[in-house]
Amino acid sequence: MSVVEAEAVEVQLEAPAGLWRDAFHRLIRNPGAIVGFVFVFVFVIAAVFAPLIATHDPVEQNLLLIANGCCPGPSAEHWFGVDLLGRDLFSRIVYGARVSLLIGVVAVSFGLTIGLFFGAIAGYVGGVVDSTIMRFMDVMLAVPGLLLAIGIVAALGPGLKEVMIAVGLANVPIFARLVRSSILAQRDADFVVAAKAVGVKQHSILFSHILPNAISPVIVTATLAMATAIIDVAGLGFLGIGLQDPDETPEWGSMLTEVNEYLQTAPFLALIPGTAIVISVLGFNLIGDGLREALDPKLRGR
Amino acid sequence: MLRFVVRRLLLLVPILIGLSILVFVWIRALPGSPADSLLGERATPELVKEYNERFGLDDPVYVQYWRYVKTTSHFDFGVSVATHRNVSDEIKERFPATVELALAAMLFATLLGIPLGFVAAKKYGGAIDHASLFASLIGVSIPVFFLAILLKYVFAVRLGWLPSVGRIDVESDVEHPTNFYVVDAIITRDWATLRDVLAHLVLPAIALGSIPLAIITRITRASVLDVQNEDYVRTARAKGLAPRTVDRRHILRNALLPISTIIGLQVGLLLSGAILTETVFAFPGMGSWLREAIFNRDYPVLQGGILFLALVFVIVNLLVDISYAIINPRIRYS
Repeated sequence: MSVVEAEAVEVQLEAPAGLWRDAFHRLIRNPGAIVGFVFVFVFVIAAVFAPLIATHDPVEQNLLLIANGCCPGPSAEHWFGVDLLGRDLFSRIVYGARVSLLIGVVAVSFGLTIGLFFGAIAGYVGGVVDSTIMRFMDVMLAVPGLLLAIGIVAALGPGLKEVMIAVGLANVPIFARLVRSSILAQRDADFVVAAKAVGVKQHSILFSHILPNAISPVIVTATLAMATAIIDVAGLGFLGIGLQDPDETPEWGSMLTEVNEYLQTAPFLALIPGTAIVISVLGFNLIGDGLREALDPKLRGR
Repeated sequence: MLRFVVRRLLLLVPILIGLSILVFVWIRALPGSPADSLLGERATPELVKEYNERFGLDDPVYVQYWRYVKTTSHFDFGVSVATHRNVSDEIKERFPATVELALAAMLFATLLGIPLGFVAAKKYGGAIDHASLFASLIGVSIPVFFLAILLKYVFAVRLGWLPSVGRIDVESDVEHPTNFYVVDAIITRDWATLRDVLAHLVLPAIALGSIPLAIITRITRASVLDVQNEDYVRTARAKGLAPRTVDRRHILRNALLPISTIIGLQVGLLLSGAILTETVFAFPGMGSWLREAIFNRDYPVLQGGILFLALVFVIVNLLVDISYAIINPRIRYS
């Protein structure tokens, strides 16, 4: 075997490991990310298997339970106690995970898809198209996120779908900017020039050559956006403007709305849903940070 | 420098036009016509028709848009449906409250965040460093309103150290010439009121400042870690400058550059957070006002308030850009 052949073999041996495999190995060696995965795992399991895990009907009211004042705390029958209307808090938390996860995933995917689309076009086409799209994104960024979401919900009316759109749209400019700058950095790279030279079509250069290489910051941002989305949904719920009927749909944020007056007698009513939000958000933040470090080892510990 | 400022100002124009179109379209997308929402239950077909004619709602859209631009550029946002007061008058009262709260929050975040981030970087990998990383992670993961409720529970309800609601003692009847209560108390030399106003600010400011605190700590730490290996820092050390001088004049000064932009970017977060914080503490600022407006379907308040806040946000970002160019001359020419 000649030296050149030996090198070729070596390159081949290393190549399949690649960016993703390396990143994965770094990720699972990061204790923070592992904790994040555990939190998110618990959250997702609760959301998916809510009907099996919940011990009671989350919307069934039992006013007898609060006959002696609000509200009985945790007990063997009601693990997290009962709320102002005598509903089982544990079951409401479990079903609440469902609402948060569903809205979060749909909203982020929605924001991501639209942002990716416009960002990719702006970055790749450039010129007037680029400035038009980006100025529009600037306008969207000029309205603070929660305010934008409130405005959208005010226009569309409350409801699950409406909240998803509101929270998702707030994400559009963030992804559009990110993808655009990633693409600008790739546009003149050698592999793009090479693809052009051999006559690959415009859109397949964009979608099969540039985007896959611009994707790692997008994944990191999407994970962190999940965390923000859960907080935003809870914020809208807390303000009482998210869901059509907060009594019917158990949502974590709205559980914190009416407990203000009961802080003295039943602080657990605020503490438990609040902790549920923190744990799920923390989970996504930890994974996001871990991913960022894994994909860009220079950032380690920063 | 002048050219830079002019260019930034020119960039403002398309944003303002876009913003006004966005808000204009948004008003029209709101459920129920303005006539319905203003007239409420009194709305009869005749009244609605009269109203539409009086306010020119039958005119073509571009005529309406132009009229809308003309009136809003005079800060005339109409009259609140709920209180029947001029929206701009209410903004004059409530905006200072939110500014006071946001400034207090930012002060808390910077005064604590920069030293914390600096110490964490200096003791890289040590206990303080890990604690600060962990704390800032919690800081960005805890919803503002939950932290506000926690603070209220511990320090107001349980310990009773600080007031739990409002901006000033309810029995206070002092004059407020500027509506910035802190400033008012200082110019009238009313120290008892000043103490009262500050006590009301503490908890909301800490709650609202938690996210900027987490971010500023993190950025300061990363920035100091970057800067302290620069050649000029090594040179400064090598020529025998006192470590404290190197820390202050060479490391911190350069590390603060990215931090100043981050502080500007927090304004949007602060405005969003203010809505939630003010709601928890019944703090009479822009945020709690907008929240009530949503419930009352008070569209004049909503459109006036949202447009006004977006304007403030855009202007603050512009000021941050300009101040950044002053601090860091390198940016001007790029």
